Amino acid sequence: MHKFAHLSDCHLGAWKHPALQKVEIEAFYRILDTCLKEKVNFIVISGDFFHSNLPDLGVVRMVVRKLKQVHDAGVPIYVVYGSHDYSPNDNSMIDILTDAGLLTKIKKGYEKDGKIKLDFILDQQTGAKITGLSGRKMGIERHYYEDLDRELLEKESGFKIFVFHAGLDELKPKALADMDSMPISLLPRGFDYYAGGHVHKQMMEEFSGYGKVCYPGPSFAGYSRDLEDSARGQKRGFFIVEFDEKVRDVKFREIDSVQYLYFEHDATDKNANIVQEELKLKIGTLDAKGKIVVMKIKGDLSGGKTSDINFSELRQLLNSKGAIHVQTNRYDLRSKEYLASISGDIGQDPKQIEERILRENIDSVKVSFPALKGKEGSGLAIELLAILRQDQKANERKSDYVGRVLDSCKESLHLEEIE
Amino acid sequence: MKEKSLDVAGQIVGGQVAKILVRQKSGKKLEIGDILVSEEDGSYLILQVYNLLYGSQIPKTTHELLAGLRLEGFGTDLEFMEPKLRNYVLAEVKAIANVSNNGTEIQVKIPKILPSFFQTIRPIQKDDLTFLTQPTNPVYIGKVRSGSKIIDVDVFLPSSEIFPHHILIPATTGRGKSNLVRIMLWSLLNLESTGALVLDPHNEYYETNGKGLKSHPNANKRLAYYTPNPKNGAKSLVINLRSIKPDHFMGIVNFTDAQWDAIRLYHSQFGENWLEEIVLQTPIQGSTVPLRTFGVLRRKFYLALGIEERNGEIHCRNNTFSGGSKGESTIDDIVKFLEEGKVVIADTSRLSDAAELIIGSIVAGTILEKYQYYKTTGELESMPVITIIVEEAPRVLGIDVLEEGDNIYSTIAREGRKFKIGLTAITQVVSLIPKTILANMNTKIILGNEMSTERSAIISSASQDLSEDDRTIASLDKGEAIISSIFTKFAIPIQVPMFEDFIKDKSVDEKKSKKIVIG
Repeated sequence: MHKFAHLSDCHLGAWKHPALQKVEIEAFYRILDTCLKEKVNFIVISGDFFHSNLPDLGVVRMVVRKLKQVHDAGVPIYVVYGSHDYSPNDNSMIDILTDAGLLTKIKKGYEKDGKIKLDFILDQQTGAKITGLSGRKMGIERHYYEDLDRELLEKESGFKIFVFHAGLDELKPKALADMDSMPISLLPRGFDYYAGGHVHKQMMEEFSGYGKVCYPGPSFAGYSRDLEDSARGQKRGFFIVEFDEKVRDVKFREIDSVQYLYFEHDATDKNANIVQEELKLKIGTLDAKGKIVVMKIKGDLSGGKTSDINFSELRQLLNSKGAIHVQTNRYDLRSKEYLASISGDIGQDPKQIEERILRENIDSVKVSFPALKGKEGSGLAIELLAILRQDQKANERKSDYVGRVLDSCKESLHLEEIE
Repeated sequence: MKEKSLDVAGQIVGGQVAKILVRQKSGKKLEIGDILVSEEDGSYLILQVYNLLYGSQIPKTTHELLAGLRLEGFGTDLEFMEPKLRNYVLAEVKAIANVSNNGTEIQVKIPKILPSFFQTIRPIQKDDLTFLTQPTNPVYIGKVRSGSKIIDVDVFLPSSEIFPHHILIPATTGRGKSNLVRIMLWSLLNLESTGALVLDPHNEYYETNGKGLKSHPNANKRLAYYTPNPKNGAKSLVINLRSIKPDHFMGIVNFTDAQWDAIRLYHSQFGENWLEEIVLQTPIQGSTVPLRTFGVLRRKFYLALGIEERNGEIHCRNNTFSGGSKGESTIDDIVKFLEEGKVVIADTSRLSDAAELIIGSIVAGTILEKYQYYKTTGELESMPVITIIVEEAPRVLGIDVLEEGDNIYSTIAREGRKFKIGLTAITQVVSLIPKTILANMNTKIILGNEMSTERSAIISSASQDLSEDDRTIASLDKGEAIISSIFTKFAIPIQVPMFEDFIKDKSVDEKKSKKIVIG
């Protein structure tokens, strides 16, 4: 019997807060340590290994240290890009680590006769055949799936794993109903295991004609919403899959990287001062030591502004009680003096709001080039924004930085030159 | 008035309003449903034939004698003298429109006059129908038909108006209902102003013998196809049991008061998990739901949805309803597509009637709630109109069904118009639908129907006076139809094209663009 581990959405480098950075890297270490302890034959990572394609080098150094240990133990790690660590010109940290032999990036596809063909990677120890497609921003990769030569992939014999970084319509959580997704019928049938990434929720389901379709969810958290979900009881971890010619067992291994404390407070028909006092009293009764605290305040205030509630003071109070991080969710808190300027964004994180606003307003921009219109256009815009957001690296010359950003933009837009 | 060619078909010889007698010109063959024109001073009347009978100047006894002589061999060469003058066909016609042109605009009115006595009449020509213009947001229905002759004038209906006011498509089997719906949906795929949910119990709209709506150039962007067995990009029709609320069963599955009490108890106790917990027979502390009630409820849920408990887990016979993580956002996705003005086809061919109607009920209920909300926020104006296409409509709109109480379909039939949501009800048996509902269906596209009771129900609820059209409806051949609508000046006879012919030169193979492959 062989074993492999399936993890996804580690989002390493997502957090600036030192305490969260520590938890993030600890969760990753614990996963790989468990993999070594379980003597898995290989590891599959379904995208968004890093939070950006060129993450903070301090984070990379910590990650490399553990990857080296896994590499030296003879456990290969197969990986695809996610929507965060994708690089249009193959210049991401994933590629650097692949060149260094610490990761194995699942092979690129190629176009032949109007179809996209994918090759398999053969895992030498187990004979498992691995293939898949990387993710991109806002579901642009759907085109690749539509043109994928599924028949060719379905004909391949042996134990097969398909790795992908995309949401599936059939497994889209209700809370993520606005997320881009594609139908499962775009995936090739008959694989033994479908290693999914991108959806931040642990799921394992089986579909007629397909093997097990699994999403492990994030190892820790990529967004603040993940922290809230974890605090509300969502499990974080990864899958360990036992197989020979077929999958024999799939187990979710939970990683308790940190303790959480979640509480809600209803501010309906109370003024801001009363809410402030009630929260202080409540916090006084809580055991926050060593925990990530998620505090959700909701309801319509009878008087005062939402900003009259001193959240900074509440945070300090929790920190003084030993909380390692405090997150407040006040999207559902309203005051009569406040008129929402953007409706429907309650509870969404900034990334989703940005995507939605772009998607809703893209049609008001008059352009003639079809790729810049509609969903594809907003996807490209998001991708470009991600490129343009990249900081200049330490010791990177300005001209190199400009060149790097320009190259990425050209690749993303499929342009020869930018004038 | 522009001079038309003198292709005289007959001459008015008598009659009264709605029963004008026309003598057919020899050599001409008037048909039931033929449209004729009587030129008047500064206007013209459009007339329609609804009955044909023989006329003769010779007494009946002479006809009988002459027939006897010929039959019994006493005079096989006997002929009428000047037969074209003495024997002829009389057509009963009615005036359906009065068209006048004041030089700046064409006005079409309901006729309140008789055509001039002894006026010659001629067959209608294309130029007589220039007032049938293409509206904004056009839905193509077919071409104008005169009897069985097709006039080269396209008939469009205004999508934004007809759909919220509900459409009824009555016809018996084989008269072209599905073909008509396909043609209409083809137009909707060009419009962003109308969303449509198609519950397709025969799985015939997306693709049949390689042809279907999937061939539309916009299919990729504007058509969503849900099926329990998806291939090549089709979407799975999988609905999470947690999407189902007790109200969705109203008017679809009958429950006794005791069963409703149990359902409400489980809903209040377990929230969205109520259905699973009933099927799993999870006990509620202090509850007194009898085992027999559980048994009956489980059996009803099995019959309706195909779900049952096996080894402590929920199983679904047809994979359409599921617990776990599957299908949590399917309803939201469908509703989103409809709000974007897309056409959503749900292949319900493998589902029970109840399961099909419950899916429609969940979607319809959700979209109605959203549109009611949009009305309060003022956003409704900018939203597309939505139609829900229901086959065998009496299943949800039948008199016997509604006696048990309202359901979401009857609510939409009565109130949907205010919220830009309408039904497109297809049925063979109009008489089973209450008159109050029929009266709300302001566009009827009437196909052939040989059952007189059904024709009576159709005629009595039509938007125009079709009281003389019983024979016309009975004689409608496949693809021939009459549009009776508050949005047309008169009941327009049409010929719906065959879908396969219609889409020739319109369907496309998706043009492949260069692909850029990523790793």
